[in-house]
Amino acid sequence: MSEKVRVVIVDDHDVIRVGVKQSLGDGVEVVGEGRDVETAIEAIATAKPDVVILDVHLPGGIGGGALDVLDACLKKSDPPRFLALSVSDAAEDVVAVVRAGARGYVTKSISGPELTDAVVRVAQDDAVFSPRLAGFVLDAFGASAGDIAVADEDLDKLTAREQEVMRLIARGYSYREVGEKLFISIKTVETHVSAVLRKLQLSSRHELAHWAAQRRIV
Amino acid sequence: MLLAAVSLAASRYGWPRPGPWVVPLLAYIIGTALVWSPLDSASVEDALRPEVVVGLFSRDHWARVLVGLGLAISSMAWFARWPFTDQPVVRVVVDIGTLILAAVLLLGPWLLRLARQVRVERAERIREFERAEIAAHLHDSVLQTLTLIRKNADDPAAVATLARAQERDLRGYLYQDRRTAEESVAVALASAISAVEDSHAVVIEVVSVGDAPTDKRLRAAVAAAKEAASNAAKHGESPISVYAELSSDRYEIFVRDSGPGFNPKRIPADRLGIRESIIGRVERHGGTAAVTSKKGEATEVHISVPRRTDNGKAGR
Repeated sequence: MSEKVRVVIVDDHDVIRVGVKQSLGDGVEVVGEGRDVETAIEAIATAKPDVVILDVHLPGGIGGGALDVLDACLKKSDPPRFLALSVSDAAEDVVAVVRAGARGYVTKSISGPELTDAVVRVAQDDAVFSPRLAGFVLDAFGASAGDIAVADEDLDKLTAREQEVMRLIARGYSYREVGEKLFISIKTVETHVSAVLRKLQLSSRHELAHWAAQRRIV
Repeated sequence: MLLAAVSLAASRYGWPRPGPWVVPLLAYIIGTALVWSPLDSASVEDALRPEVVVGLFSRDHWARVLVGLGLAISSMAWFARWPFTDQPVVRVVVDIGTLILAAVLLLGPWLLRLARQVRVERAERIREFERAEIAAHLHDSVLQTLTLIRKNADDPAAVATLARAQERDLRGYLYQDRRTAEESVAVALASAISAVEDSHAVVIEVVSVGDAPTDKRLRAAVAAAKEAASNAAKHGESPISVYAELSSDRYEIFVRDSGPGFNPKRIPADRLGIRESIIGRVERHGGTAAVTSKKGEATEVHISVPRRTDNGKAGR
């Protein structure tokens, strides 16, 4: 990665924007900022970033916060990739933004290097799962009830391998450590995580639909 | 005039001469219409703003209601005295039935409206109560903590602990997870781990999948996890994470820190933490606990207890 990842930071608190900016490492360049739905959409349109770090709760728009921004930007051609950032780790928030198109979700307690790593990962079109998001996924896809997909095309269940990967991420393993533990390459881990992300976005399992409905999107 | 015209037309076209009840009936209808009339505009307002009750009475409205009541009541009084049949029993029954029906019809809309008013006022009182409760909660928790933080401004560790505890408290309050540790093993685990966070001033991420009431075995597993987390907080490095998964046949908890690791075989025999509080405790409940660690690498404690839900013997 010779080129820097161009990033727009969207958060309604100035302090958080400054903090995020400072904690981002050398591989990342901040090219724009937004403080509500309207300024975010404008900043994204002018700066054309690779990645948008997006706070889930934002003022403005039609009241959906980050969902409004995702909605407006993903309709345009060549949209940026979104990494959602929030203090909240309530299931309905997490699931709603991911289903609306975010490639990952991290909480604001994340450390600087971890955030930089997550941004770079999202820029490469990989998915970023925090342990908590992995936990939600296992819960929502009924992993503890023993629901296992027999075919890869089954959107409503995870395959046994995907469950293993999600479990290790929920246990706090990094992608590299997951790969070592399961004797697979880090690239394969990323493939599994992306597949889970796709299922999370497209599945119609009623648990997911329920969480999404609480934030008024389906 | 209208009355006269109708009776003229009736006699002209040979209709049977109407009984004496026509005039009182008309009086009753007009009276009811007058009594109802103030409600008409109010019902439009009510539909627009369901959360308030608009005032009804102008002087004009009062007059209409009084005249209407007068008309309706005098027509009912007339009906009560009208000897329409010779049989006294029939007359009493019909009289009482008709009068009750007439009274209900006359006052019904007002009673409905009164009920609505009571309901709206009650909802308002509840809202008021909730606002007061939230204010009280914020005062007791957030404001107190802010004061404490200001006092401890030169002690970063104390500030971090205070802020962390307050954050957890507020989060619990906002998301209204009011289940107790008895009802939910996820809550039991979360509160056990937050006690560790507070006493060691560390941050531990807890992820739970699946939930059930906390029985004896689950409680043992949670206690062992607490011990493991407190070891991780004492000897390990952040980030520390706890993952719990409850399936139909077992409950598993993983407690993981990021180093520096140790050799589990070389723990002195007098150190009871791992041997007694984690492994021993879990094994007494038919479970297993294993510590995976190597010098210089992450340490993970894996706790697993079986569940017996099929035959209902799971001891509480």
